[in-house]
Amino acid sequence: MVGIIPRFNKKLVSRIKELREKQKISQQELAKSVGVSRQTIYYLERGMSNPSLTLSLDISKILNKPIEEIFYYEPFVVEFLGNKTVDEMDEIADVTGVNLEKLLNLRKIDDNQLSTMYTEEELKKIAEALGVKFHILFIKDEG
Amino acid sequence: MKNKEMAYEHFIHKDFRRKIILKVNAILIPIFALLTLFFVELSYGEHVPTGRGPPGPSPIEEIVGVPELLFWLLLLVVVIPYLVIMIILGVSLTIYIRNFSFEVLENNLVIHHGVITKTKATIPFIQIQNINVVSGIFDRLFKLYTVKIETAARSRSGSSPSLIKFNPEGHIPGLKEPNIIEDKINEMMKKLSHVPSELEDKLFKPEELAFDNFISYILSKMREGKELKTNIKELREKMNISSMQLAEKVGVPIQTIKYLEEGSYNPSLSLAYKIANVLNCKVEDLFQLA
Repeated sequence: MVGIIPRFNKKLVSRIKELREKQKISQQELAKSVGVSRQTIYYLERGMSNPSLTLSLDISKILNKPIEEIFYYEPFVVEFLGNKTVDEMDEIADVTGVNLEKLLNLRKIDDNQLSTMYTEEELKKIAEALGVKFHILFIKDEG
Repeated sequence: MKNKEMAYEHFIHKDFRRKIILKVNAILIPIFALLTLFFVELSYGEHVPTGRGPPGPSPIEEIVGVPELLFWLLLLVVVIPYLVIMIILGVSLTIYIRNFSFEVLENNLVIHHGVITKTKATIPFIQIQNINVVSGIFDRLFKLYTVKIETAARSRSGSSPSLIKFNPEGHIPGLKEPNIIEDKINEMMKKLSHVPSELEDKLFKPEELAFDNFISYILSKMREGKELKTNIKELREKMNISSMQLAEKVGVPIQTIKYLEEGSYNPSLSLAYKIANVLNCKVEDLFQLA
């Protein structure tokens, strides 16, 4: 069976800031409770560093979310689609013939769903519309 | 009393007006002289007897007995505009000098200026990058100096550089003794050289952050290395993967996997993700804080 999985960006995306602000915890408070300096938290929020596992676990404990929801790698497709406006998405839907809802769903796709929900043709057209080569966005997994 | 000492106030010197008038005249007079010459040439043409030199500074003398047209032309195009420009310049300069004042306060340099629209410019000392003292040719005739204050915000946000040139934020012209204000600003800047806490984030350089992060990473490794519990070994054996194979798949030396299984090594998050991916489970299933 030929499956297609998305290619991931190497850089960690961090949702610390968003989650922290939702719970009204300041950078300083979070830093203190996990025992690091505030700069480290700042650095993590920017996704500029790869934290140690224990630090990540501490943060996940305090923010009360599983690690996977705080730090994750973003597929390149999501990164490319993420900053598109509704109008631009509409345009891509028009060009590729993929319906808009399906396109919007691609933003929060799970790697296992990709090949069941989208055909290779569709993904190729989307990549083309985004101006990127197919093999940069996706990996064809044979076997 | 201390406040009075802090709030230092100053104005521009009256010579500034003379300097600007001289400067404008230096540009205008050649232009108007050329215009006069042009008109005289135009109306006399070949009628001008040879040997007559170009008109002197007083065009009236030249046009004695000349058709009325030339007289009115010169009056309308040369004399009246010149007078109007000079009057407007003189009046606006007087108002400008009267309105211009600046003071060195505790945290800011405040400059009041404007002829019709009055502006109060506040420049925080922490934003000042450097102070330039400029003295041009005309400035030197009157022993005047212009103090130009460059701010960080200006130079960075300047989308159109020409606009900055014509309308500089911290621009104090016509000073007899620029050193007083320069010293005063430098003194205040020194006092404020410590960084306020809310600006810390913006001013920290990435290298410093990286170093800080590196240190705290090492500290956290030393501190927390033994608190980590892991069941990599069980999961790995369940999936029939040797530690050598696992090491190969995640791209680390086999020793690292051994340390990890002993629980004496605190991996980076990305390594933990890689291992979880290979063993097809979640990070939290693999590692727990003791």
